[in-house]
Amino acid sequence: MSRDEIRDQVFTITAREFGLDAGAIQESDQFVDDLGADSLKSIELVAAYEEEFELDLNEEEALRVQTVGGAIDFFEKLLV
Amino acid sequence: MRIYQLQHVDEPNLVEDVFPHVLPPLIAFEGVIHEYIDGEYVEIDPRDVKTRDIYVTDTTFRDGQQARPPYKKEQMVRLFQMLSELGGPNGIVRQSEFFLYTKNDRDAIEACQALGLRYPEITGWIRANKMDFRLVREMGLSETGMLTSSSDYHIFYKQNQTRQEAMDQYLEVVEAALEHGIRPRCHLEDITRADLPGFVYPFVQRLEKLTEDQPDNMKIKIRLCDTMGFGLPFPNVPEPRSIPKLIWRLKNECGVTADRLEWHGHNDFHKVHVNGAFSWIYGLNALNATLFGFGERTGNPPLEGAIIEYVSLKGELNGVNLRVITEMADYYQKEIGTELSPNYPFVGRDFNTTRAGIHAGGLRRDERIYNIFDTEALLGRSPRVAITDKSGTDGIALWVNEFLGLEDDDRLSVMKVVKIQRWVMDQYEKEHRLTTISDQELEEQVKIHLPEYYEKMKKKVTSGK
Repeated sequence: MSRDEIRDQVFTITAREFGLDAGAIQESDQFVDDLGADSLKSIELVAAYEEEFELDLNEEEALRVQTVGGAIDFFEKLLV
Repeated sequence: MRIYQLQHVDEPNLVEDVFPHVLPPLIAFEGVIHEYIDGEYVEIDPRDVKTRDIYVTDTTFRDGQQARPPYKKEQMVRLFQMLSELGGPNGIVRQSEFFLYTKNDRDAIEACQALGLRYPEITGWIRANKMDFRLVREMGLSETGMLTSSSDYHIFYKQNQTRQEAMDQYLEVVEAALEHGIRPRCHLEDITRADLPGFVYPFVQRLEKLTEDQPDNMKIKIRLCDTMGFGLPFPNVPEPRSIPKLIWRLKNECGVTADRLEWHGHNDFHKVHVNGAFSWIYGLNALNATLFGFGERTGNPPLEGAIIEYVSLKGELNGVNLRVITEMADYYQKEIGTELSPNYPFVGRDFNTTRAGIHAGGLRRDERIYNIFDTEALLGRSPRVAITDKSGTDGIALWVNEFLGLEDDDRLSVMKVVKIQRWVMDQYEKEHRLTTISDQELEEQVKIHLPEYYEKMKKKVTSGK
């Protein structure tokens, strides 16, 4: 999976989870400060990534990611 | 001022010599206690409790029954059997006291005697009345408690006697007991409100005089009855409320040995357990208790609490089987039908249940963070989480993993259970729910959101593996 494909999928999942248009998402967006995630939403987001990418993620590592760009980097390391 | 520097460590200091987790936390003493008596400090060494033969005596069927409808015979027999298993072969539950007045009580004693158990030894309880020895003898008991009230509240206002009349009556009954070959145990009612030098100590000295020529197994025992819960465990409070002074004088000035002194408390001021524990520490051997603390008014020292205290003080089980505590609580609730408070230590439904998400998170990472000791190993009760809007996804993960019986690497992450947590939060935020989510509701959610795990668990349960 290429970085661009990962990026598109992260944007799609993130937009869906926050009820936004994918075009409104930026790599610099912070899940908590910019997108308004609380702790439950953060876990739901990671669960959605896990399901879509068909991965079993390490809970602590995955929940440490704070930005959309960080999520792309995180999955790039796992999938590319 | 001493300056303390932060110490950098590679490994955590878990203070495991005090908190071994495989046992209840241990109690150690580093020096003597100084008690101010007659203008001087006397030393009481609490370390002595490690080697002294301290034990629990039971009054579930006497004081415990004064606070509730009578037990059925078979209930008493089953509880008696469990008391024996709990106390183990070394008799940490050494004696159990029974009423003798009703046929049901006498039938229960006979049925308990027929079990042939070494411990607890069965003893009786009678009023200070010579006629009642017939009952003690008929039941084949070798020891009986007898009411010997000691405060002027009782002597003057209840018994309408002078101190001399009361003492004469008590001594007459004690002598009669000795003549009948029955070991007397004098229950000094209301002792923490009594005139100790004016009545109690002279009376006990007379008893000691009576007992001096008796063989050891007939020497008179003294039960210190803190009838209204007025006793205080603190050092250096005045008599008659001071437990250390009372025990010290009875031992050192009246000559009663530790093995013949017993504490019987009441919980009117929330001190019932700590007073009992301190009575051991201040130098007597027998702590009288009832199962789950049921007793007159506010109750007596809880027997299961006394047993845990015993293990903490001794630093070993010494034959005690703590898992029986859980069996007794189940029996009490399911068979006898008496509800125990959910937050009651060691046995209540929620005693090791957390509702806070942050605690559940800690429990999920390492049980020792929020569990008092290994409650699964010692009591057969794993720590649990009760699900509300405060328990968080960590709480759900803990509950689900426990429910599915998943351990170590098989345990599900918070991501796998987050849909259940969303359902829980919707219950509170959208449905405005105010009650805890039940286990049945959670099971239903597991079935919906984790069907493959649910089926696997059911198959495992059915096949018994």
